Amino acid sequence: MQLKLFILLFLSLANGSFAYSQGYQNTISGKVLDHLDQPILGATVSIDNNLQATLTDKNGIYILKNIPKGKHIVKISYMGYATIFKEIKFTKTRTKKLTLDITLEEDIKSLSQVVVQGKTEKAKIETSGFAVNVVKTKEASLRNIQTNELLNTTVGVKIRQNGGLGSNVEYSLNGLSGSAVRIFIDGIPIATYGSSFSLNSIPPSMIKNIEVYKGVVPGYLTDDALGGAINIVLHKGAKNNLNASVSYGSFNTFQASLNGLYRFKKSGFTVKASAFHNYSDNDYKVSGRSIVVTGLGGVQTPITARRFNDAYRSTGGMAQIGFTNVKWADQFLVGFTGSDDYKEVQHGAFMTIMPYKGRFLESDALLANLIYQKKDLFTEGLDISVNGTYGKRNRMVNDTVAWAYSWNGERAIDFRGNEYQYTWGSQQEGGPTLAKIKRNVASIRTGVSYAINNNHKFLVNHVYTGIDREDSDELRSVLENTFVGTRDLHKNIYALSYELTAFKNKLRVSLFGKHYQQKTINIDPVIGEDSNGNKVIVDEVLSSNNNYDGYGFASSYAITPEITLLASAEKAIRLPNETEVFGNDGDNVVANPSIKPEQSDNYNLGFRFGRYTIQKHGFTVSTNIFTRNIKDKIGLPIETSLNIDDELIVYVNQGGGTSKGIDAQFNYTYNKNFGLNFNVSRFELKIKNNGIEIEAPNTPFFTMNGNLRYSFKDLIQKNSRLNLFYTMYFTDEFSYLPPQGKNTVGDEFFKVPQQLSQDIGISYAFPNKKLVASIDIKNIFDEPIYDNLSVQKPGRAFYVKLNYSINKF
Amino acid sequence: MNSKLLNIKAITLLALSLGLMTACSNDDDNGGNTNPDPEPTTSRWITVAAAKMGEDPGDGNGGTLLYSVSSEDAKDPNVSIEAFDNGFIAPSNRTARLQSSEDGNTIFNISYAGDTGGNYTKYTVEGGQNFTPTGSQVSIAPYVGTAPRWIKLFDGDKTGAAVYVSTEHEIDDNDTPNDTSDDTYLRTDAKMGIVTLDLENSLIKEFQEHNIMLSPEEEAQGYYIGRIDMPVLNAAGNKLYIGADVRKVDTETLERERDYEMLGSKTIVLDYPSLTNPEVITSTVGYGKTNGYRSINAFEYNGSVYQANQNDPEGSHILKIDADNEYDDAYDFNLDEALGVEGAYILAWRPAANGKAVLAYRHDGSAEGLAGAQGFFALVDLNAKTAQKITAIPYDPNFYLFQYQGFVVDGTEIYVTQAPVGQNGNIYVIETETGEVTKGAELINVQGSHFIGTF
Repeated sequence: MQLKLFILLFLSLANGSFAYSQGYQNTISGKVLDHLDQPILGATVSIDNNLQATLTDKNGIYILKNIPKGKHIVKISYMGYATIFKEIKFTKTRTKKLTLDITLEEDIKSLSQVVVQGKTEKAKIETSGFAVNVVKTKEASLRNIQTNELLNTTVGVKIRQNGGLGSNVEYSLNGLSGSAVRIFIDGIPIATYGSSFSLNSIPPSMIKNIEVYKGVVPGYLTDDALGGAINIVLHKGAKNNLNASVSYGSFNTFQASLNGLYRFKKSGFTVKASAFHNYSDNDYKVSGRSIVVTGLGGVQTPITARRFNDAYRSTGGMAQIGFTNVKWADQFLVGFTGSDDYKEVQHGAFMTIMPYKGRFLESDALLANLIYQKKDLFTEGLDISVNGTYGKRNRMVNDTVAWAYSWNGERAIDFRGNEYQYTWGSQQEGGPTLAKIKRNVASIRTGVSYAINNNHKFLVNHVYTGIDREDSDELRSVLENTFVGTRDLHKNIYALSYELTAFKNKLRVSLFGKHYQQKTINIDPVIGEDSNGNKVIVDEVLSSNNNYDGYGFASSYAITPEITLLASAEKAIRLPNETEVFGNDGDNVVANPSIKPEQSDNYNLGFRFGRYTIQKHGFTVSTNIFTRNIKDKIGLPIETSLNIDDELIVYVNQGGGTSKGIDAQFNYTYNKNFGLNFNVSRFELKIKNNGIEIEAPNTPFFTMNGNLRYSFKDLIQKNSRLNLFYTMYFTDEFSYLPPQGKNTVGDEFFKVPQQLSQDIGISYAFPNKKLVASIDIKNIFDEPIYDNLSVQKPGRAFYVKLNYSINKF
Repeated sequence: MNSKLLNIKAITLLALSLGLMTACSNDDDNGGNTNPDPEPTTSRWITVAAAKMGEDPGDGNGGTLLYSVSSEDAKDPNVSIEAFDNGFIAPSNRTARLQSSEDGNTIFNISYAGDTGGNYTKYTVEGGQNFTPTGSQVSIAPYVGTAPRWIKLFDGDKTGAAVYVSTEHEIDDNDTPNDTSDDTYLRTDAKMGIVTLDLENSLIKEFQEHNIMLSPEEEAQGYYIGRIDMPVLNAAGNKLYIGADVRKVDTETLERERDYEMLGSKTIVLDYPSLTNPEVITSTVGYGKTNGYRSINAFEYNGSVYQANQNDPEGSHILKIDADNEYDDAYDFNLDEALGVEGAYILAWRPAANGKAVLAYRHDGSAEGLAGAQGFFALVDLNAKTAQKITAIPYDPNFYLFQYQGFVVDGTEIYVTQAPVGQNGNIYVIETETGEVTKGAELINVQGSHFIGTF
């Protein structure tokens, strides 16, 4: 209801925007590109010391109208790039349209701007009004930093990871996690790619940037994202380049990546390829209450152990051919994405006294893809983009070793002193498995936008995602596998957005409505009879088709050029997944076709101050206050004496919750060679079931991140650059249990202690600018870092990396 | 205020019991302690166990809290116990599975699930929130998993036992592994593991594995033992009985059946202490499962073992296994008949040495509250085969006993906790000889939470 009121309010404001007009008819427009010919979003284009100013859109396009006659200075600036000044002139009488395309060159000094803050994000937020962080990957790609680590330093984002490189990751945005957070690669849901092509495996060098939308997600990222979305934007562009990197470090961690693009100037024919390889033994040291060796009689001796069944390997790549920047397409590329990974599993959700040996997961994906993008198709202002993916992905779980192992990496002995096998015949309780899940996946994203003029723009987006899933387990009989059902999921999500710019670009509003349609199909083979009365296997097909709607808005208003107010809201939903709709035979959960989606009303209100500059000092402060009100949370009812025997458990909409909090960021620079970023995020997450509200347990609710950078020029060699980095991550204590009474004892057993991890790094760019070397030391004080009660993460680690890149050939 | 008051009471009690002591016994770990364990002669500790709400009201997953008072205080309605504010949190990710020594001076805990699931710890009860860990650490997880079902045997607090079962369908593919049309179901194998734990010395005593068979006819129809629990010693101390839940698979599709004809209640009988020689015995009186839930389900009385069953289509029975280790089918004690209800379901029970027991149950007429069916207490006479609902205890739709774990038996008296989910309640003491009910100490509750018994 409140949301609807907001939208009405903004619609009425929209009418007002038609009112303003000026006497001058001169116009200047153009495109701002970076050194790789990729359009720059959010570059500032101003005339005569901010007489008029605008920001470039996502295609790098800007337009300034109603310019008085005479000489003017146009200033084009963007964080990390050298500012350009151009003089233009409009003659006395005739109305004129000038076109001025600009290519910005990177400014070496400010290149090292690693993280979220700065004008990049500022520009984006000012353009859209969303609570969004844009994570630049450029600097990280030169250092020994994983994509997930980079995200973890982003305000309001918390990564929960169950171990070292390649281990299972969960993302939390402002307290909402799990399936409430949707992840995309170029707008395609990551479920299409599977775990082998994920934030764990894709190197930062393949990524242009990462957009993190909190609570309110724009129409072009169409999925049922209840708590927000993370979109990985891969490199586009059409300029020849080649870069390669290798890195080696602690725990036998080796990583390599290669990216290249070659475009034939005349024809526009373009060949593009990327490849990555990651390997780590993850054999870091662990200790603690469950890291023991068991002797005769079961007597336990605590030890410090090295993880011995945690290796990770992933290999993958992407190859595309097509045409770029030709008359009929800005981008037309077809290609393949292939990836493969292997991950040993040292333990389950917790580290227990029984480490796993020989349990591993494998996944692979082979997908064909197609990209078509064209601006100003048929008519000016009409843009179209299509991005499609189709292929197969597989996942395998292998757990067939029955022998018990001890934390010293050797066979464990039982109380009699003999090596022994687990009763359940596997490492993880539940029995041996060679489970295989095969999926056929397809996803196609289409976007059409039409800008009526500089003030009004309409966008239509559609995403189709289809997953056909088939399960089998070689360790079960063929007969058993025959009667295992298959699950198909088809999602169509439509979004209609309207973008308004008014009051001399001070006000920007985006209104959007989303329509979600989901069809889930359950095919369960059963015994039936044919016409002759013979028993035959027939498929029992159940399907459920549901339609839901959501809507929201994002807006920004520049009170002064330095003070911007941002507000956004969305009625977001998460559609029930196939297990929630159809249940799960193995867990004795039966179907609930009438289950409703989870809903959340999400609100963000933010202020942004800056960028203020006093002599050589520059600083920016921004903050966002948020609330999320979740309804119809999907879960399983508790085990009671009524359902324990009849096994008729169904997923139900049983509760809700709220998350309220604040994110704040501070950015300071001095003379372009010193930079400081600091952010803090704090929230309160409450869950409500059957009318009773409690504080959510096992939630890190208070985090801080900071980093410092200092840059030396010409220190060792002329034209070289040396950067020093420092990063700190702080997570406050949290408890695995809900808050206890005021005078209880024994609470410490459930506490995850306060954690402070600090990294330092150094990078050196050689004078030829093609070679960059870097060294990073992570967790320099070897602090114990935990997640999920007792899962310990790596201690101090050293890494070296070499990057080589050519941008012109 | 109240908590302070209670602490003062606890300290006073401690001093009092020290004064009353006629003998001191030193536990193995506190040899040099000048402040020996209290061992009151007229009083004993009553440890109240409280289960805090996790994410759902009544789920009990938000911590298991313990608080001890003297039996005098437990019987005093003017005393209030705030276990949620002042208790000791037993180390267990989900509701701790507790047992206590017969004298109430020691609490035994095996942690359920999480990083320490299967860890055995014991505590000396010292009143209030004071539970001092004693003995070394040992885990039964390597034998029975991190979410073990365990029980203390009635052998003078010497032994604990825990079990595990895993099942596998056996198929004859007729030597054509790729053709399913000629495949036939043979049987479902149930592989059990049983471990015994030396409670005194914190050591593993014995572990054995067995493949449990039903009769060929039963197996051919798809019946198998899917869950086991609740080991109990016979009177002679040479056999161990383990309760079982018999399930059924559709022999054509190998999918688990839901509505099937129940077989007579079954129990696995093993030699003790060797844990060998498994046999399955079957009742012709009861048809429900005999593996209970979280509270001890079978007890030795007067030379026989009395065992409750659950989910019996005719309502729960108390079954009798005689000294010959066979069901006594002449003993027919049906709770539906005895209580005059339909669908009686025994949730927990405990006899005193006089053959009279307090029994927690629900029935088809129970209201459905926040955490399932409303529970009631009944007074049962094993000899007379009578059961009477205890009406002196107040009942509420949100009072449930499914997770109920503990009864203190002190002579002929039995101590229970009563509090609906999220509401205050009381300890009640039932004199089993007369049926007289004493309303005891007030139990201060917090939202969504409940009490799971006395130890």
